[in-house]
Amino acid sequence: MIRFWNKRIKTGILTENTELDQELKAIRKEIKSLINKRFAGSLAIRMVDSGSCNACEAECNALSNPYYNLDRLGIYFVASPRHADVMLLSGVMTFNMTPHVLNAYKQTPEPKWVIALGDCPLAQAPFSPGFAIKAPADQYLPVTHHIPGCPPEPLAIIRGLLDFLKKL
Amino acid sequence: MRLIARYARQRATDFEIITVWDQKTEIEQLSLQQPSIKTLSKTHPAALWFERKMHDDFGIIIEDAFDNRPLVQQERFPDKIHPMLKSFQQSELEEAPFKPYKYETIRGDGVFEVSVGPIHAGIIEPGHFHFSQAGEDILHQEVRHFYKYRGIEKMLEGKSLSQAKSIISRISGNESIAYQLAWRDIQLQASGNELAQNSQKYHAMLLEMERIAHHLTDLGFIPNDAGFGAALAFCSKLAEDTRRQLKRLCGHRFGFDAVDFEAHTLDLEGFDSFLDLLEKEIAFFESWILGIPSLLDRFDTTGILKHYQALKYDVVGVMARASGVATDRRDTPFYQEHGFSIETQEGGDVSARFKLRINEVKQSIALIRKLKVSQVDKITLSDTKDGDYCAYAESSIGELFMSIKLKNGLINRFYVRDPSFINWQALHLMMPGNIIADFPLINKSCDLSYAGNDL
Repeated sequence: MIRFWNKRIKTGILTENTELDQELKAIRKEIKSLINKRFAGSLAIRMVDSGSCNACEAECNALSNPYYNLDRLGIYFVASPRHADVMLLSGVMTFNMTPHVLNAYKQTPEPKWVIALGDCPLAQAPFSPGFAIKAPADQYLPVTHHIPGCPPEPLAIIRGLLDFLKKL
Repeated sequence: MRLIARYARQRATDFEIITVWDQKTEIEQLSLQQPSIKTLSKTHPAALWFERKMHDDFGIIIEDAFDNRPLVQQERFPDKIHPMLKSFQQSELEEAPFKPYKYETIRGDGVFEVSVGPIHAGIIEPGHFHFSQAGEDILHQEVRHFYKYRGIEKMLEGKSLSQAKSIISRISGNESIAYQLAWRDIQLQASGNELAQNSQKYHAMLLEMERIAHHLTDLGFIPNDAGFGAALAFCSKLAEDTRRQLKRLCGHRFGFDAVDFEAHTLDLEGFDSFLDLLEKEIAFFESWILGIPSLLDRFDTTGILKHYQALKYDVVGVMARASGVATDRRDTPFYQEHGFSIETQEGGDVSARFKLRINEVKQSIALIRKLKVSQVDKITLSDTKDGDYCAYAESSIGELFMSIKLKNGLINRFYVRDPSFINWQALHLMMPGNIIADFPLINKSCDLSYAGNDL
């Protein structure tokens, strides 16, 4: 254990993108009042995969690695739609998954928002439309914001989430 | 003999059922009216999903099958629709009335069922797991997937090989390069071109980078599922470093669309120091993690896949090698020249799969050092010739099989068997005798793809 703590102290803090912190500082007042009013101090996201290739999930997981450390912005992923403010939707809407996605949306308490992550939900890129895909997702769900990319890189996701907050 | 794949193909006058073994390929012809075929699942249990899928896709009757439930077509799928038939051209499906699916369950006093998914409590892909429980102990588990069924096999029909590439590289994100390598080999066979040594090395190097990134993610998540979060912080940092290097090498963090026949000049500045750092950190990680008895207590003897079970279920990849089955598609003269040898472990438990991943990361680092090239030449492809082509690749999960039939220069039938498709069927073997709280740990130690399985 002592070796681990040695390593821990020598490595120090790896979190990057302090420019985002600066940006955040600038809009913090705004966000704070918004987050406090609408989200009780923090933004809870439920990620729902409706047929992605799993790269969007990998990038969302990367958001909690030491470089990005999303939690510090008061934004975090929750385990149940019932705990969420935002449903983050990735992947093309498949025929088999659609009823479950709609159910998850129904279970999310009001007020709620849907953010489309990556190029799949709205544009199905690069997949062609087919019988097994119910597209685009905004025919079935009210999509408030879209974070483009295939997949969007972690930094692009953070920026996209901040843009979403500014939009509200 | 090891069963690799079993799939059907519709021709003008008949169906062809193709069964691919490791030593030979068998083809049977069936009439278009009343097609039926004998099941293989009594001797090779892994044939079951292939056959259930064949029935859903083409309506082929499987004789003597002990399991006739639909596989791909779920509760609201319309009746009597077989989307892979050439006559099926619908672009949309109407939702049919809900037909309940009969899960495999065990009945008895105090035995209860636990249903998990398709949406799980975390950032994971959708899939369903159905448990029969006696208290905490798992008696039986059924894996039910295909929530992510995008109909990719049908979608690619009528496209040329080059048009299909961007879809093929997005079938399963964390195996993208392996999929593209299988595509590359088919493209080369069809156009009759040879690959230059330096592009072969470059592609192999990308594949190993993908493997390192995927294994590192798992090496973090497996201890995290046993409640040891520090390992996740440690490994997710290394995985992020690897993704960033991969982006510098090929322009994309997952290598989407990276495998091509163009000329490249690689930016290798700082690449060696990245490899050195990674090697040092992995050595530290190994001695640190394997010195924590309370963690090993969770890993050891948890989720055992015995050697004979791995053989019987035709398991591939990490799951097979951790149970002592030496199978790896990289076992070729090209890789051997660069110092490759198959890594195996004997235990078949979570611990064995964990250690195997550590060793494979080490080996991939050594391979990359030898495969490293700074310049890649362009290859001009000739026109493709029609025919049946197939190719293999070893993804970070295991052996990938892809087969493409070209007709008039366009894809007539696309078939791919993700390593996960075989391995998911053996997951339930690891469950009896374990407690349900260990399921995430066992599942993560195998880390199979849902997207590649569902297609």
